[in-house]
Amino acid sequence: MESVEQRNNSDLEHDIASGNSMQLIAFMIGEQVYGVEITTVREIRAWDGATPLPNTQEFVRGVINLRGTIVPIFDLRARFGDGITNTTKNHVVVVMSVGEKWVGVLVDAVSDILTISKKDIHKVPEGDNMDSELLNGIITHDNKMVGLIDLDAIVSRVKTEGK
Amino acid sequence: MSDLDEFKATYFDECSELLLELEEQFTAIEEGDRDTERMNAVFRAIHSIKGGAGAFGFDKLVEFAHSFETLLDFVRDGRVELTDEVVTLCIRSIDLVADFVGAAQEGEDLSPDFGAEELARFKFLSGEEDETMEEFDIDFTPVMVAVGDDEPIVSDELNSSAEEAGTESDSFEEPPMQDGERYWKIVFTPHYELYERANDPLLLFRELSALGETKIVASITELPELQKFDPFGVYCSWVIELHSSEVKQESIEEVFEFVEGDCELEISRVMADADNDLEPVNLEQANLEQANLEQANLEQANLGQKENIPTKEASETNAENSQSADADLEADEGLSLADLAASIEPAPAPKPEKSKPVVAKVKTPETKAATVQSIRVDLEKVDRVVNMVGELVITQSMLTQQMDDQLRARYQEMVRGVEVLAQTTRGLQDAVMAIRAQPVKSVFSRMPRLVRELASKTGKSIRLEMVGEHTEIDKTIIEQLSDPLTHMIRNSADHGVEIPETRLAAGKPEQGVIKISAEQAGGNIIIAVEDDGAGINRPKVLELARERDVVGPDQQLTDEQIDELVFAPGFSTASAVSDISGRGVGMDVVISNIKKIGGSVHVRSTPGQGTKMLLRLPLTLAVLDVMLVEVGTGPYVIPLSSIVETVLCEKAEFGYAPSGRRVLQIRGEYVRVIDLVERFEMEVNLEEHRRYVVLCEGEGNSKVALIVDKIIGQQQVVIKSLEENFKRIGGIAGGTILGDGNVALIVDVQGLKNTPEQKSAA
Repeated sequence: MESVEQRNNSDLEHDIASGNSMQLIAFMIGEQVYGVEITTVREIRAWDGATPLPNTQEFVRGVINLRGTIVPIFDLRARFGDGITNTTKNHVVVVMSVGEKWVGVLVDAVSDILTISKKDIHKVPEGDNMDSELLNGIITHDNKMVGLIDLDAIVSRVKTEGK
Repeated sequence: MSDLDEFKATYFDECSELLLELEEQFTAIEEGDRDTERMNAVFRAIHSIKGGAGAFGFDKLVEFAHSFETLLDFVRDGRVELTDEVVTLCIRSIDLVADFVGAAQEGEDLSPDFGAEELARFKFLSGEEDETMEEFDIDFTPVMVAVGDDEPIVSDELNSSAEEAGTESDSFEEPPMQDGERYWKIVFTPHYELYERANDPLLLFRELSALGETKIVASITELPELQKFDPFGVYCSWVIELHSSEVKQESIEEVFEFVEGDCELEISRVMADADNDLEPVNLEQANLEQANLEQANLEQANLGQKENIPTKEASETNAENSQSADADLEADEGLSLADLAASIEPAPAPKPEKSKPVVAKVKTPETKAATVQSIRVDLEKVDRVVNMVGELVITQSMLTQQMDDQLRARYQEMVRGVEVLAQTTRGLQDAVMAIRAQPVKSVFSRMPRLVRELASKTGKSIRLEMVGEHTEIDKTIIEQLSDPLTHMIRNSADHGVEIPETRLAAGKPEQGVIKISAEQAGGNIIIAVEDDGAGINRPKVLELARERDVVGPDQQLTDEQIDELVFAPGFSTASAVSDISGRGVGMDVVISNIKKIGGSVHVRSTPGQGTKMLLRLPLTLAVLDVMLVEVGTGPYVIPLSSIVETVLCEKAEFGYAPSGRRVLQIRGEYVRVIDLVERFEMEVNLEEHRRYVVLCEGEGNSKVALIVDKIIGQQQVVIKSLEENFKRIGGIAGGTILGDGNVALIVDVQGLKNTPEQKSAA
């Protein structure tokens, strides 16, 4: 069993090199698993509060100090319209780079690193705007649905002058 | 950017520095300081400008600078007397050179007769008809060298150069060569990489000669036939004898430190009579520059002038001993060796029976010109260091805050370490800030020209006095200072100082005085512009202000308040709109520029005696003095420079406008109130009377009252951008990191004032 997996792994590594596969950092919001490409992730840190920003939507939790740089934190749960996360010290901020900018995403927990084959990515079923707007695709891993987060979409559409 | 463009950019940088220097030197000369060193400095500066201009083909500039230089040369050796008239001409000419340089930089064409008048004056004064410009032809002139089959050669010119060096060579003596004397023998063989990294052996030799008497022998046996000659090839090596009893090997190695690895270097201690290779010697004597020149030119031939950037060379010459400046200047640029050689009367040099290596003896320069060593660093790099140090300071204070008594008792060593760290960090911060600091001189020195121009345009006689130009401020502030200062001086010259007749009638000296001064006062720099003119015409100002609705019809103003009106936008009391000022823009620019950099402006005027305008500026922009407050649940900071006063809400008098908006009544003024909690859509969780009013002043003296929940204290913070990773938020100027590592937001007072009142939050 183990040897099979190892061969799979080396196959996958080969696939990554050839561009057919990618690795994801998977994290949880409630029971739902989401993932982002590992190369965009800069840092994972525990939630330690943020300075709230005035006149922004509720999913902008505020800004934190990341070694001297000010980084905004987005509450992914709130972004999906499920209300703001009731934060504890166990919550996690995943710091990622989106283009030139660094942003933090507040999630419940980081669960795993997944290696997936690009051909396994499914399209997001049409019908719900929020889903197709915020997800790049869906894959299945261990019989669970993993939503691929579209970072650009998460960050864009932030308003800064009132609601 | 092509290489040439880069050289050009460097040249223009240097030009602006040289022009400043010229301005400064002539200011001193004008005041009666006729030190010959000043004339030399002026001469060198003009020469450097000309040299670079020639290389880039700015013909008009070259022509003008050349004539200017000729005149200066005549002045220097006494053929032309330095009368006031000549000084005035020179000062005027510096302005013209600046215009030529400016035109060249912008690629503009000046009218063909631009500066013609001055040019004619130069020629008249220096009694020169029309000197040919041959000397500055920068076409490559091949150096004639007799190449023997495989033997080294001696350059005949060395003899004559010794003669040309004149008095200097008289002082040369054979180094004492007693039997058994030991000296250092250095064999120096540069590799291609050495030149590629823009090193120059000449500089190394100069440095070596500072250690003691040197004898430098160039070996050019490797020089190939012309057909096989690679212009970028390296064919030259040197054997150097260094006669000095106390020099240690380390000091010699130090000289070559920066070329280590790019050359072969043998340093050995030998007995004077034990070395046959160097048995010289009947060698021609020459001074250091002359001899190295030859070598430099050989290299130059090797390198095809690759390393030889005229401006760079020219600037090097500035630092050189002025006595030899004359000869070097021509030669160092590598432009005109042939001319130099031609101009030297060929001495009856004994034909060497046998070719010998080129040898020169060098005497340690007696007076080493004091050189200020400096490097050019990209400002961005400095800023990066400034930022990092800012972080370090915050981290350090975070560490210090963590230490309680228990910890102190348990980890004494660590606590001591943290204390030392705190000290070092503070020192580091000061040192880094000092890097960014520059003397205000760089702005001040532009002002004499401005005053001259203003005086000639207005027909007034004005003298400019400058005090404290060595006061240092942050570079960014200096850059922001030029415009306001220009406007203030214009204002003083145009509206302040009276025309000579009026002055005489008022019993004042005919010549008006504008004085600019800079001084440090605590954490601020105070820059004052003062004139001895008529002072502000208060009735007229008030009348105009009422006319333009700047002041309400029945509003009573104090004298000070009237004076401050001159900074109101669109305000000018000049009855005629003049060319210089009076268009109504200007003084409000002063105030907005100064506010932008966290400073303030005040004016004091005494009718009949003059006006004094004071700029109060922060020492640096990297650190902002702020008041830390709490709004809702978040920490906010308000720049101290915009705060007028703070009042506890229960002590404040509020009124209500018909719209239901609250206004603050304070000292007879009604001020708009912005409750930050409402504005930032947060929840008020404090009783109203325990909150605070922070009265702030925006641009143009208009005030606004901000209501905050708590005032925590004052501190210094480093400004951080919110836009870097997020975007701009209305009413917020940026963020900053507090001692506990949390982010606080900086309130943008002006921005808040400019946004219309929002409906109060639900």
